[in-house]
Amino acid sequence: MKKGLTKWFTGMMIGTLLLTTAGCGGGSAPAANSVSEGAGTAKIGVVAYLSGGGAAYGQSQKEGLDLAKDEINALGKVKIELVYEDSRGNNTEAINAVNKLINKDNVVALIGPTLSGEMFASGPIANQSEVPIMGTSTTAEGITDIGEFVFRNALPESSAVPQAVKMAVEKYNLKKVAIMYSSNNDWAVSGYKTMAQALKDNGVEVLATETFADKDTDFSAQLTKISSLKPDAVMVSSLYQEAALVLKKAREIGITVPFVGTNGFNSPELIKIAGQAADGAIVASPWYPGKESEKITKFVTDYKAKYNKVPDQFAAQSYDALYIYASALEKAGSSTDRAKLRDSLATIKDFQGVTGKFAFDEKRNPLMDATVLIVKDGQFTELK
Amino acid sequence: MDIILNQYYLQIVIFVLVNAILGVSIYMTLSTGQLSLGNAGFMSIGAYTCAILTVKAGFPVYLAIPIGGAAASFISLIIGYPALRLTGIYLAIATLGFGEVVRVIILNLKITNGALGISGIPTLGTKISKMLSSFGLSRFGGLTAQQTSNLLVLVVLIFILAFLVFFCTRLNRSRVGRAFASIKADESAAEAMGINTTYYKLLAFALGAFIAGMAGGLSAHLTFFIGPKDFAYHRTVEILSFAVLGGSDLIIGPIVGALLLTMLPELLRSASEYRLMIYGALMVIMMAFRPQGLISEETVRFWKRKLGRRIKQ
Repeated sequence: MKKGLTKWFTGMMIGTLLLTTAGCGGGSAPAANSVSEGAGTAKIGVVAYLSGGGAAYGQSQKEGLDLAKDEINALGKVKIELVYEDSRGNNTEAINAVNKLINKDNVVALIGPTLSGEMFASGPIANQSEVPIMGTSTTAEGITDIGEFVFRNALPESSAVPQAVKMAVEKYNLKKVAIMYSSNNDWAVSGYKTMAQALKDNGVEVLATETFADKDTDFSAQLTKISSLKPDAVMVSSLYQEAALVLKKAREIGITVPFVGTNGFNSPELIKIAGQAADGAIVASPWYPGKESEKITKFVTDYKAKYNKVPDQFAAQSYDALYIYASALEKAGSSTDRAKLRDSLATIKDFQGVTGKFAFDEKRNPLMDATVLIVKDGQFTELK
Repeated sequence: MDIILNQYYLQIVIFVLVNAILGVSIYMTLSTGQLSLGNAGFMSIGAYTCAILTVKAGFPVYLAIPIGGAAASFISLIIGYPALRLTGIYLAIATLGFGEVVRVIILNLKITNGALGISGIPTLGTKISKMLSSFGLSRFGGLTAQQTSNLLVLVVLIFILAFLVFFCTRLNRSRVGRAFASIKADESAAEAMGINTTYYKLLAFALGAFIAGMAGGLSAHLTFFIGPKDFAYHRTVEILSFAVLGGSDLIIGPIVGALLLTMLPELLRSASEYRLMIYGALMVIMMAFRPQGLISEETVRFWKRKLGRRIKQ
């Protein structure tokens, strides 16, 4: 029996060895070629959350990028090649992916990662290696403090949320509100903080602050308490799954006031899950597919033709990000010089994208206006 | 040479080494036959203690990392004393619960910055190279600053791991190691022979926690960012799988397990979407045919015999 086992063991070892070396060979071959052929083609690495719980975000980003890449290459001013790596929403994986793209694939710039936490972990690597990195969905505070090479075109919560709060306060004459947020989600907590600050700035009284956790499904305790306080509105900071369930429960127990949300509200999924209950949900979004603009209509039709669905915010911002890179590459006049690309990226101004007029401020954060949306009859419409 | 000095490979080797240290930490408790799943918890205590000390209190890294380990060790004594009266699956559940409790506490404390985590942790590499440059050694010929710092980190980690392996092999041959082995073989018999089982179990537990805490501190300074999410349940399973895959009889087992399990996802990157499927399938196959782990005492004996024979010929 012992002999049989050892035989198996050797077999297994050889098997793994073969498999791993095969993987090695496959991975390194294209990297060797790219240096010689890549004279005119700019290689941009993308780190996205492509498998696991948040794969839907990464998938949207990939679709937006692919669409933009095809269009840019068809225009022919610059040629772009995208190399995707999956980060699985994990910090170490994101670090490895960024390292691989920089050192093995020799990319000129990076897009991603999807989550702010991943950016905090992998951004310093790109910054040290002096490779421009642009987050398209990293909205947390302090992302661009990592360094000179870290950019983002994701509208930070600190800029989007106050716009929504201000609009709602003016529109509905809010005096006293209740807040709910997911306390175990870094991004939701940061959204909550901005929300609380914005309320304070607008002189609105906070009656109660209730917390829950991601993946919670029962919010009756918090909402019953809020209901008894009779607020003018409820502020919610969480991802769309929880936000939708909160809305559903709230309408069920008779809270009819408007709900103002952070970016988590900004998803068609919210309406899909909450249905009728989503009516009256308010959110500020850099992306609104229904806006009347030639550029946006074209993007939405093209996207629909290719993927058979309406692009969400993740797709739109990634789409814009690649166009921003393209115009920076064009200005830099080189498809391999990372430092030049960074400098020309920093000077991007008056860029017209599908998410509106865009510029980087001196801290490499986006300067752009958000559109405040409200759900009416199961549709996002502009709140005017 | 270029390939060896590529940042990407250096970074992977660094993660392999940190995981190997974590593998040693679980080996420590397993060497007394106790299945403790609290390692992610101890790791997070170490990581947070260390990160808070360096970021907020300005401690030097070389002091903060052992302090992180000591903090984890101290907590392990407090929870170990009652918990180690449990055995087998009950201990596993209790320690697993402990890990979750630590995570939730971290999530709700102000000093740990809750769910936002601590970002902007200084890197180990720059710290070490700064220290060296103050001694007059700044750059080694032809290497970029980043390569130098990564290489330095590598050397430090190899040194720590080598020390741990040395420590454990020495320990196994000592009075303490024999006591560990006897508890693993049969706890009641060991007790009947006059071994203070609670003391030795607690000792193994605290040592394991110390190593896990140090590994946590090291990893905090390698990933620049720590959040409660990094130390959730899946981390414990990951650490345990080093020992399960590599085998927990010998110290080399968890180290080989850490090596394989850290490298595999990277090596399989070219398979993109099939990556995790292949990874999972390999794990299942391994467990089906090698339930005792890749390396057991028998394997070592077998190879010794085989190699010995070859030498004679």
